[in-house]
Amino acid sequence: MTPDARPPRTRGVIALVEESCTVCMLCVRECPDWCIEIDSHTETLPPDDTHRRPRTNAVLDRFAIDFALCMYCGICVEVCPFDALHWSPVAEYAATSPDALVHERDRLASWEATVPPPSPLDPHGVVEDPGPRRPSPRG
Amino acid sequence: MSALAGAVVAALEPGEGTAYDGFGPVTVDVPRERWVEALEAAHAAGAVFFDLLTAYDLGPDGFAVVVHVASADARDHVLVRTTVPRDDAVLPTATGVYRGAAWHERETHEMFGVGFAGHEIAPLLLPADFGAAPLRKDFVLAARAARAWPGEKDPSDSGGRARRRTLPPGVPADWPEAGT
Repeated sequence: MTPDARPPRTRGVIALVEESCTVCMLCVRECPDWCIEIDSHTETLPPDDTHRRPRTNAVLDRFAIDFALCMYCGICVEVCPFDALHWSPVAEYAATSPDALVHERDRLASWEATVPPPSPLDPHGVVEDPGPRRPSPRG
Repeated sequence: MSALAGAVVAALEPGEGTAYDGFGPVTVDVPRERWVEALEAAHAAGAVFFDLLTAYDLGPDGFAVVVHVASADARDHVLVRTTVPRDDAVLPTATGVYRGAAWHERETHEMFGVGFAGHEIAPLLLPADFGAAPLRKDFVLAARAARAWPGEKDPSDSGGRARRRTLPPGVPADWPEAGT
């Protein structure tokens, strides 16, 4: 079965949207298989027009998923508060050594193009348009 | 309550068997002294298909041993469960009622260290000199002790302020740490 013929919910591989990752470590800590590894550092941003004080910002250095350990439970995808992880139906990444099943951030990011669009809402989940909202008293 | 579960409860003294109607089949809890009688009652009530026998670790409360049997004719099934204490984890064998329980008792004996009186147990899956019950909760998983938890890293660790140490979920705090 080609990836296109599989249902969109298929759990083939996990795609990473690097721009959405805030290095919160939730996926690493929730993973029951310990198969996600994140390296990061913090950098200090100087004050600018909108921030009067210096800020620290976590920067992602390494994001790797070991698909030799992964059991495809999807807890990391569920737990990510910023939608940085998505299921892709692509499963064609067999390898001849366990090391080659460790997908680093470049490879994880490359799967993003294969993530299907989100499925439409359940008919009963769509709320009818309540019309224009009343302006709030505080403006 | 299903007819099978009712038959098991009816075979015991009043108050001995308690039926729990959960999300799946009915579970009948029986005292360990009545284990074989409960299984005989299930068999006599038509549950001639033996599906499985297994155990799970209740920690200080001992081990629960559970049997799943079914009746194809009545399309009914029941779980019969009992508990054994940790320091005396022995049950009478179920092989007198269900011969197919022999393999399951061998596996349960290996994995949980639960003995089955009246059943000469030969090793099934593990080497004869393995010497431990790997599915007991106090059995240290080598994979969890040999490797550092990746979630222990913290992006703000460079700040110098001591943070509360996070622990991996599901791993007991008294297990040896990696490298010790």
